[in-house]
Order: sequence, then C-alpha cells, then structure tokens
Amino acid sequence: MMKARKRGKHKSAKPKSETYIFRLFVAGNEPNSSQARGNLARLCEERIKGLYKIETVDVLQDPTAAHENKVLVTPTLILIKPQPKVTVLGNLSDTKQVIAALRLTSTR
Amino acid sequence: MASPKRGAKTRDAGRPHKSKKLPKVSTGIAGLDLVLGGGLPTGRVTLLSGGPGSGKTIMGLQFLLRGARVDQAGILVMFEERGTAVRQNAWSRGWNLARLEEENKLYLMDARLDPQAILSGEFSINALLAILDQRIKAMRAKLIVIDAVDTLLNLYDSPKRERLELYALHEWLLNRKLTTIMTNKIVSQEEGPSRYPFLDFMADCVIHVDQRVTNQIATRRLRVIKYRGSGYGRNEYPFIIDKNGINVAPITSNVLEHRPPGPKISSGDAKLDEILAGGYKCGTSILIAGTAGSGKTTMACVFTRAACLRGERVLYLNFEESPQAMISNMLSPGLALQPLINKGTLLIRSYLPEAMGVEEHLLHALKDLDGFRPQHIAVDAISACKRMGSDQAAFEYLMRLLNACKERGITCIFVSQTSGLDIAQDISGIGISSLIDTVVLLRRLPIDGVIVRELIVMKTRGSKHSEQPHEFRITDSGIDLVKT
Repeated sequence: MMKARKRGKHKSAKPKSETYIFRLFVAGNEPNSSQARGNLARLCEERIKGLYKIETVDVLQDPTAAHENKVLVTPTLILIKPQPKVTVLGNLSDTKQVIAALRLTSTR
Repeated sequence: MASPKRGAKTRDAGRPHKSKKLPKVSTGIAGLDLVLGGGLPTGRVTLLSGGPGSGKTIMGLQFLLRGARVDQAGILVMFEERGTAVRQNAWSRGWNLARLEEENKLYLMDARLDPQAILSGEFSINALLAILDQRIKAMRAKLIVIDAVDTLLNLYDSPKRERLELYALHEWLLNRKLTTIMTNKIVSQEEGPSRYPFLDFMADCVIHVDQRVTNQIATRRLRVIKYRGSGYGRNEYPFIIDKNGINVAPITSNVLEHRPPGPKISSGDAKLDEILAGGYKCGTSILIAGTAGSGKTTMACVFTRAACLRGERVLYLNFEESPQAMISNMLSPGLALQPLINKGTLLIRSYLPEAMGVEEHLLHALKDLDGFRPQHIAVDAISACKRMGSDQAAFEYLMRLLNACKERGITCIFVSQTSGLDIAQDISGIGISSLIDTVVLLRRLPIDGVIVRELIVMKTRGSKHSEQPHEFRITDSGIDLVKT
C-alpha cells in the first residue's frame, strides 16, 4: 500500500522539486568528520544543487540524538528523504560508491 | 666476610612494598575471586578470551550483577547480541536485568552496527563513546563489559587502524576509571594466539576460558595468563556453568589437612555397632562392598536414616538410581527417607556418571558440601564412577572427594559393587583402598538351597572389631544381624 502511494506521488509531483534531506552525524572537528562534511557538500553541489538539505548533528554536543538514530560511529550519513532510508558510514571518500548508495543521479 | 655482603644483597633484591595493595573488584564468582586474589583490577582492563560458548558473556553478566548488588552501576556494550536475547537468557537463570535497568544499576547498550549500512572510508566509534559518556555520568557507572571487542576491531580494515582504535578505547576507559571486562573470541581449542595479539599486551589482566573434550566428556577450564601488579593462581581451574551461572572449582590444597577422626557414631544398627566395637568413627571413610543384591544400599541407608534422625545432615550421591526410585525401594526394608528430606537433614542427588566429566561431578559435590554442609556423605556406588570416563577418572573423583570430606571432617560411606570372584581384588580395584578406614563386606551365599546374607568387617583402622562372618537378614524394619 505504501509503495502504491509513493509511486502515485512520484508520478504526480515533478521529480525536480523533490529535495534530498541528509542527516550527517559528526564528532566535533575530528578529521574524518571534517572530510565527510567536505565530501558531502561537494557531491551535493555537483549533482543535486539546490535540491538538498543537510542537517549536521555533533554527537559530542547531542549524544541523545545519536542514540535515537542508532548512530554508533562517526561520521554517519543518513539519507532521510527520498525513501528508502540509506546509511553510509565513514568519511565518504569513495565518491563512486557514495553516489550509487545515495542515488545521486545527476539532475543535469 | 660474606655476611655483610649477603645482607646488602638481600636488601638490594628488596621485596616490593606490601603497603599498597592493588584495589580489586569482585567478579561475582567466589572461586574466580580466590584465583585472582580478590578480583579484577579496579579501574583497569581485563581481557577475557575464549572460544564460542565458553561462558564469556555469562561471566561478564555475573560481574555486572554483583556490581549492581553493591550499588556499583555497570554497562554491558553488546556488539553481537540483541538486548532482548541477553535479557531472556539471563531471565532463564533467574536474573532480572530489566529490574536493574529500571533501577539505573545496569544498562544494556545495543551496539550492533546496522548490517545494511554502507561503508565508505574511515570512521571512529566516537558516537558510541559519546552515548556511553552520557550514560556513565547519569548512572555514575563504575563497571563496563565490552562484548565482544574482536567484533568491534573487525570493523576496521587494517591492523594499524585496529591497534590505534583499540588504544584509543583503552585510554578512554582508563580516563573514566572504569573497571572493564573485554571479551574476545578465539577459535583454537588450546589457548592459541588470539587474532588480535596486542589485546593481551594491552590488558592488565588476561583470563582464558575454554572447553575441552576428553573421552567424549567436555570440561570447561579457565586460566589466568597475566595479572599486572598482583599474584594469582597459576593453574588451570575447571569450572561449570549451571542454572546459577559460573562456578569455579575452589583451589584444591596440596597439603593434607585432614582432621583427626571424631568419636564413634552408631552405624544405625545396634548389633552392627557391637561388631564394630561401638560403630563407625565420625569423619572416617567406610567402604560397604558386596555383590549385587547383597544389601549394600540398604546398609548405607540404615546409617543415613539413623544419622538424619539424630539431626545430622547426610548428602547421598546416587549414581545408580533416581531419588524417587531410591526412596520407594527403601520403603521395602522399612526405611522411610522422604520425611528426612522434608525435615531437611537428607539431600539425595542423582547423577548419571557418564553425563559429565570428573571436574563437573566434583564441582557439583563440592557445591553441596559447602552449601548443604553435611556431616556425612554416601556415594552409591563408587563402582559406577568408572563410567565418568575411565578407572583413572573414578580414582581422581573419589580421591578428591574424599580429600574434600576429610578436610571438612565429613564421614564418607562408599558403596561398591563387587563381581564376587575376588573380593579383595575388587575392593582395591579402584585404587582407593589405602584411603579407606573401615571395610564392611556383604555376601550372598547359597547354603542348602537358601540364600544367606553374610557380613564381614574386614578392616577398621585404629579400632577393634569382630572378624567373624555374621549372618544377616533384610527385614521390613531395616537389617537384622544374627550372631554366629
């Protein structure tokens, strides 16, 4: 049922207007977290410019959020929207893999 | 000339100052605390390595449960199991983890990574540590169990990263002064090298547990490999996991500290007491040997019942029949045992000899020696003990049980079945005859087409006795000796 509704929505709404929502969990300014921030920003700008939103959560400031999202490692990137949810761990250095995982097909 | 030099040398060699004793935390397992000289090092990391199913998680839980009992809150970080599974398994042992969680004395941290998550590049467990930090502060946690550290290390893709992350975790734990158990899975049966050898170097205390099979019987053992700043028992110690958790065999003393035999006590039959010049000696070992159906168990139960009626406690280890069968069979010679069990003076334990190894059998017996505190025990029959594995196994079992009893001043009644061909040979067959103080021999002889039962006292150490054979009958009120 969920699927049907989603497909319907997909048809009616223009794919261009659909935004990507990311939640990126970092631990202060540790190197891996900074790298992930940079890598994600760059990829988004290249591929889905103007169509994305990144919420950054510092687990050192907000461990409760980490716990609620079952985040154990930093950096952790969760693609919240569009569904299905995807979780990518690590500094996002493997660009090809990240693009495939996050379905960042170029909007052109 | 040599003496001042010598003096100087001894001073140089100087014994370490005994003033500062390493603070320790109980493991929650009495026998293991003994081996560790009190427990695990406070505020430091202990590595607990072992194969699958060797009892690592249970040991960790017992440590946390004990902490919770003395208001030392603890955290279990689970990299492998689900919290619900751990709670359920604990519940089956009667451990109510959920209640301790409610009371903020225990926290189960599910730290399994989402298997669907995609790995891309380096990461650290800072989020987990941040969550733990929050919990530690909220609960004022003092103890932590990391189960299992190898699963965590497995996440990293290079040995260098593994080591760096482990050192970071180690530092983190030390900074928070947490008394830590890290469990670690090792595959080899023998305590072979771990996948992560640096773990052994990092930890202040290293314990190996394993499970070995000899003669098709599995035995669990543990050994302390190292303990910085503390002495420890260096042997391998057998242990069992039962309903209540882990039991480590108390250290068997290598000194004979047997108590001298006590006063004479009744054998349960006035005429037999006469033959024995007053009865059995308290705290000695008595062998009741005989052919099948000669009345050995009856004879042992006559003593058991009399002792229990005097208010003394008897532990009856039965290797041949169930308590129910024994109770019902003994009704025929008029020996009611159930009332004694109800009164709490008699404890019957039935074990299948082949079900466990020697150590496990011993642990069960020792547990009852210290829990039930019997004045007397009966083992029926020692001939069945060979089925624990071999003649050697039976010898070890009886020898160590006997020693434990002699240290505690407990009277031992050993029942043994002989084949009837060469009784003297049979009795010494298991090799413990030198440890036996009194031998009572029972025989069934066909005389003129009638079966006649005979009793002969073959030896009593430090006491007089009649050496005549005595005819006896099993009546519906015990035994009846006829003087011949």
